[in-house]
Amino acid sequence: MKIHVDTEKCQGHTLCAMRAPELFQLDEIDGHSSAVADEVPASQETAALEAVRSCPEQAIALS
Amino acid sequence: MTAEDVSDSDRKREAHYHFDRHAVGYRERFGEITKEMQTKCPVAWSDTYGGHWVVSGHQEVFDIARRVDVVSNDHDPEGKRRGYQGVTIPCTFLTQSGFLEMDPPEQRHYRQALNPYLSPAAAARWKPLTDEVVRAAIDEIIETGSIDFAHDLANIVPAVLTLAIAGLPIADWPLYCEPIHALVATPFGSPDRPELTQKMYEIITSLAAAIAHGRQQARPGLIDALINANINGKALDDKEIIAALVLILIGGLDTTAALTAHALEYLGERPAERERLSKERDTLLDSATEEFLRFFTPASGDARTISADCEIAGTRFMEGERVWLSWAMANRDPSVFPDPDVIDLARTGNRHASFGLGIHRCMGSNVARMTFKAMLTAVLDRLPDYVIDPNATVHYETIGVVQGMVHLRARFTPAQRVGPPLAETLAALQRTCDEQRLAGPVTRKVR
Repeated sequence: MKIHVDTEKCQGHTLCAMRAPELFQLDEIDGHSSAVADEVPASQETAALEAVRSCPEQAIALS
Repeated sequence: MTAEDVSDSDRKREAHYHFDRHAVGYRERFGEITKEMQTKCPVAWSDTYGGHWVVSGHQEVFDIARRVDVVSNDHDPEGKRRGYQGVTIPCTFLTQSGFLEMDPPEQRHYRQALNPYLSPAAAARWKPLTDEVVRAAIDEIIETGSIDFAHDLANIVPAVLTLAIAGLPIADWPLYCEPIHALVATPFGSPDRPELTQKMYEIITSLAAAIAHGRQQARPGLIDALINANINGKALDDKEIIAALVLILIGGLDTTAALTAHALEYLGERPAERERLSKERDTLLDSATEEFLRFFTPASGDARTISADCEIAGTRFMEGERVWLSWAMANRDPSVFPDPDVIDLARTGNRHASFGLGIHRCMGSNVARMTFKAMLTAVLDRLPDYVIDPNATVHYETIGVVQGMVHLRARFTPAQRVGPPLAETLAALQRTCDEQRLAGPVTRKVR
């Protein structure tokens, strides 16, 4: 499973990192999100799915 | 009538709904009105306040909020551009309310200037100071067994913190606190407004003095950022900086205070839920915070002006039309939030719109969450058995700008104070703030 954060849509709500701090990192300056690593560990897949559902801008996609 | 006129009135007549947020009883009927509108016309036309669209469906609010190509926040009271009326319906702000009532590119330049002071990393630096202010505010009343959560806590902490982040002396919080709350809570036509204008004048004078001082001798904080900002190739004049600061004060003070008061009222009415949240805060505090945000939506909506004829979410809009985006109603959309009128402290997938959607997402969101959690956890720890006096609760008379509370009184088992009084605490924190330059900008870590 891979995470893709659409940088055009991300507005720094930070809900993804709140739900899945091991999967998302937040920029120090504007709080925008990016994936920590290329692959989501199997143990984190539920967290990843919930993070996707938590994004108010619907900026996260999984593949 | 032309063919265009006919279809224009058809368009509005089909989606007609009489909507008046400022009417008596609106707050009480909110749930019912929301359901009706979402079912019949998630994009409705109301003839009130000169005529405007009212958007209550989540999908529709989402789609419209993000279309900055055809939707404008601009407020142009002097008619220099297209005379748009900004984010309030009816237009309540006499002047442009800072960068909230601007469009890109200027709006983006403001945010770039201010982001380093309000990011998650920036907000985290303020936690120790915030906790200490909360400690002192609670200490002021802890031995009496009686508190007004609004007056004694929720109104104080966000005010102190906002001033600290701005680079203003935190001991001045009373100067700002009452007038800003009154500005938001006093209905537009009220006889109290002239006195309020006088108080706002005092605030503006104080801000102007701080800016003048800051131009002479740099002092870290939002004021410094605004003094040094490059907006569309130019520096900001005092009037523009003051407008941005007043926006930040309105955003910083009332909204967090409102959220805190409503959450404490809710928990006070449900001791079992309160206990559960306290015991399970490691897993519940974050989701509970988002759920309180969703349900209480302190900044309940914002207006927009259509800047070009367009069709969005199945509705045709014409340039110049006014649109009310109701974050509060979108937050009750059952297709996004199952059982929307129930507060579920463990709610997942809570993609609420309480900080707005799109490029105008509230810049204070990280500070708001941090401050709210600091106040809530301290109350759970130090006043765990508080009992609200419902007869003494006073909500804002108008929910026009922010849905807030004037008083939320409670009794609790008294306890010992644990630290110095508030005034002494603020003096010590001011020294810490200045020495550590806490109000300076966050810089990107070198990776």
